[in-house]
Amino acid sequence: MTASALRDLPTFRNEPVLELRRASERERLLQGLAWLDGRPPVDAATWIGDDKQSGDANVSTDPGDPERVVAHAPVATAQDVAHAVEVAEQGARAWRRVPARERAEVLVRAAAWMRERREKLAALCVRETAKPWAEADADICEAIDFLEFYARGAIALDRGHHLFQVPGERNDLRYLPRGVTGVIAPWNFPIAIPIGMTAAALATGNAVVLKPAEQAPGCGFVLVEALRAAGVPAAALNLVQGAGEAGRALVQDPRVSTIAFTGSLAVGLEIIREAGQVPEGQLHLKRTVIEMGGKNCVIVDADADLDDAVPAIVSSAFDYAGQKCSAASRVLVHEAIADALTERLAGAMEVLQVGQADTFGTEVPPVVEREAQERVARYAEQCARQGRVVATHDVPGAGWFAAPTVATELPADAPVLREEVFGPLLTVEPVRDVDDACDRVDALPVALTGGLFCRNPHTVEHVVRRSPVGNLYVNRSITGAMVGRQPFGGNRLSGTGTKAGGPDYLLHFVEPQVVTENTVRHGLVI
Amino acid sequence: MGGAARTDDQAVLDVGRAIHAAFPSAGRRPLRALDDKAMDLASQDEELKAALFRFVDVVPACRNLDDLARHLTGFLGEVDEHPPPIAVAMRMSGTKAGRTALGAAAAAGVRHMAHRFIVGETVDDATGVMRDLWERGVATSVDLLGEATITQAEADRYARRCAEALDQLTAVYAKLPPRPQLEQDALGPLPRANLSVKVSALTPLLRPDAPELGKRDAAVRLRDLLRRAKDRGAHLHIDMESYDSIEAIADLVLELLAEPEFADGPSAGVVLQAYLRDSPALADRLVAFAGSTTRAHPLVVRLVKGAYWDHEVVEALQHGWSVPVFEVKADSDRNFEALTRRLLEARAGGTPIRPAIASHNLRSVAHAVAVTRELGLRDDDLELQVLRGLGDDLQDALAANGLRVRTYCPVGDLVAGMAYLVRRLLENTSNESFLADQASGTPIEQLLAAP
Ligand SMILES: Cc1cc2nc3c(=O)[nH]c(=O)nc-3n(C[C@H](O)[C@H](O)[C@H](O)COP(=O)(O)OP(=O)(O)OC[C@H]3O[C@@H](n4cnc5c(N)ncnc54)[C@H](O)[C@@H]3O)c2cc1C
Repeated sequence: MTASALRDLPTFRNEPVLELRRASERERLLQGLAWLDGRPPVDAATWIGDDKQSGDANVSTDPGDPERVVAHAPVATAQDVAHAVEVAEQGARAWRRVPARERAEVLVRAAAWMRERREKLAALCVRETAKPWAEADADICEAIDFLEFYARGAIALDRGHHLFQVPGERNDLRYLPRGVTGVIAPWNFPIAIPIGMTAAALATGNAVVLKPAEQAPGCGFVLVEALRAAGVPAAALNLVQGAGEAGRALVQDPRVSTIAFTGSLAVGLEIIREAGQVPEGQLHLKRTVIEMGGKNCVIVDADADLDDAVPAIVSSAFDYAGQKCSAASRVLVHEAIADALTERLAGAMEVLQVGQADTFGTEVPPVVEREAQERVARYAEQCARQGRVVATHDVPGAGWFAAPTVATELPADAPVLREEVFGPLLTVEPVRDVDDACDRVDALPVALTGGLFCRNPHTVEHVVRRSPVGNLYVNRSITGAMVGRQPFGGNRLSGTGTKAGGPDYLLHFVEPQVVTENTVRHGLVI
Repeated sequence: MGGAARTDDQAVLDVGRAIHAAFPSAGRRPLRALDDKAMDLASQDEELKAALFRFVDVVPACRNLDDLARHLTGFLGEVDEHPPPIAVAMRMSGTKAGRTALGAAAAAGVRHMAHRFIVGETVDDATGVMRDLWERGVATSVDLLGEATITQAEADRYARRCAEALDQLTAVYAKLPPRPQLEQDALGPLPRANLSVKVSALTPLLRPDAPELGKRDAAVRLRDLLRRAKDRGAHLHIDMESYDSIEAIADLVLELLAEPEFADGPSAGVVLQAYLRDSPALADRLVAFAGSTTRAHPLVVRLVKGAYWDHEVVEALQHGWSVPVFEVKADSDRNFEALTRRLLEARAGGTPIRPAIASHNLRSVAHAVAVTRELGLRDDDLELQVLRGLGDDLQDALAANGLRVRTYCPVGDLVAGMAYLVRRLLENTSNESFLADQASGTPIEQLLAAP
């Protein structure tokens, strides 16, 4: 161990986002983009142990310019996945023996690797997933935060827990790695979310088989590159590229003991069902750490300051074209100010910046793929049929743009009020009072994020008590959870209640073990 | 100490004493003293201050007196120890009738406080105040308060109000008697009608990471206002706002003023915020601009410390950025003095520029006057500016000393004025505030000591 390894890591602090109000910082990002654009597409290979398999069965393209290829990747077969798990099983045996402190140092080095290349990594997010600059930069910062935060958390966890001790007995609580973790990641936080789940597993001594989203194989590849470059042994971190089938093979493999997944409700439920099977020879119960969708409501009470509420609602609903699980999709506004809010919301929609992700100032970029574009359009039509579209916005022809839409006067049973659209669509419902709003929130099966604009402290407390959601934001936007500051995750059908970026997230990746030793010998305590 | 660029502290002290001697005595202004007491109470107890400010802030959004009282007691409920008047309020809130009475009293209190800072709901309402000030030898700059601009319709409405205000101000001031001291300096005539505008109200598109967007959008409306001001012979001043918009605002204004159609008018001005660490660079840019354009009207540069200090610090801390403002009050004060000198030296060196020193800090003001004299400039080469409600006494004292003083007069209704009001109250009750120091009876020598 080096001398530095013995020193404590400095206290965690969030990686600062770039100060994009300064021209020099904007320039820095543009240079990252120029660098990326000057290179051939990312060779996003499947990477098992030291073995790299390139391919082009899956090609990711720029959602804003579907002709532009960003990365090419193979599609892993069930056999590839089985092989990856086998290698990971071996990798797990060695990695769990590496002291927690050293594993943490590896993660911290990966963070440094990313920090040095942040503008290039952000550029890759911009191209592959059409994340606008500020959000792409925030994605890299969040990735760095996860690495730094879990590194520290794992060191603390390794120290175990204080237990009640009596004379003649020594009690120890420790946490052991579980083995092989399958990580199945989404494309919307293409670096942060997969690296978060991966880092949690690695920090606690597990080996990982990662399957990134098929829409973002390039981002998946570079994050593995970061961790490998930092010193994660090849066998401890394996990358399989592919879509649903590769994911299913990973979930079903009896040697996988933990499955970390972030994605849709349908797939999440399927994973939970599959993970419940215990085939002959499987030596553990599979554990699932799952984040699914939401139908996030923002409650606006009569005393809200619309100067603040309207911009916050607009950014919560439309930034990144609403493609965040935390995004706002329903506004429940006190009837006394419903008209004023709707009018200002409609006006704010007119000035939304719809455009390419690489243009500074863009708020609504294209959605990730044609399918998403069609889905949003279907819901928008539904709104027009069942209710009234208050505002919409022109969109460019090329690229998978979906028109941002605000709708109201929908019947209570309209599917759009229950189903997650995952796109730039917001509905507005006047309510009698905050209790009426709380009833509507309470009737939803999902409970991820929620918002409240209200200035009466009693009412705020009342709504907090009635709120089932995992993350409630008061008098601010409801997206942008920060590692360590807003541990993130939903309740009810939104997830397993695990809080990414929070103090107890790592507990889902370990097995607790209590060792009790008798220290009495011949009647003496020794 | 005592480098070449340092004004003689004795000179500052002399000027400061002379101004101070002309302050009206508190006894003559009983209402003012009452308000100061309330503010004093708020500045002593942080929790109480927070409660009162949250209350003032929510007043316009309350639906009725009962609602008002519920908010008030909600906020006060979070204060640990209740001074006697507040314990009474809490008891009153137990009944509906009590709440109505309490709500009415509280609303009246807030309105009263607002009137101290806001001269009227409309320019018409403000006419009397402007005329009265003019007759006492005080010029004004009118500021139209408004809700945040988040739509094009709101930007258009604000621009329309500004255009109307330019007309109304011109009409009001046309009828007033001559005041040579307020209408003329060595570089030429000074417009009587003077309007301050905010770029953030002229466009919903100010985006920190895309200054071009807001600039392009605001340019259309600002150009119209410049044309109108030119046509009416009025002065248009563009306020400076938070650091997020500084690049957009500075670029926008200097680019528009350089357009050929504005070469012969209107008179226009910008603001320099001394609390910004990088303000010396902007000062250089403004001086260079003033010196290099062939505009008929010298550029007015209003030097302020900066009104968004807390915001800038919080914003930077939440993002992990280096703080763009000085974090020690004396650093802002020292930089203010350095920039005062920078602007006045440019003027003394022949650059067509009009420094306007805007502060309620007697030391900062006395320093500006002393430097003016030290550089061999005339008193009327300098303009002093104060805010209505904060600088009333100073304003009178400056006018009595024969100095040119302009009072910034906000106009608007209570809803629109709330953000402004809260900011002024915060400033007034801050521990770092000169006015708070002054109110607490700090001796004059100490108040006038170099920062
Ligand atoms: C006519 C007029 C027009 C104005 N227009 C504008 C404008 O366009 N834009 C604008 O931003 N402001 C404007 N202001 C407000 C001005 O910026 C100040 O907020 C206000 O005048 C208080 O400063 P002072 O010199 O009067 O008082 P002082 O009490 O001497 O100074 C208070 C100021 O010091 C600074 N300060 C406080 N604490 C600290 C600290 N810990 N470290 C460093 N600095 C600190 C802050 O800027 C604070 O406002 C204007 C003021 C006037 C009089």
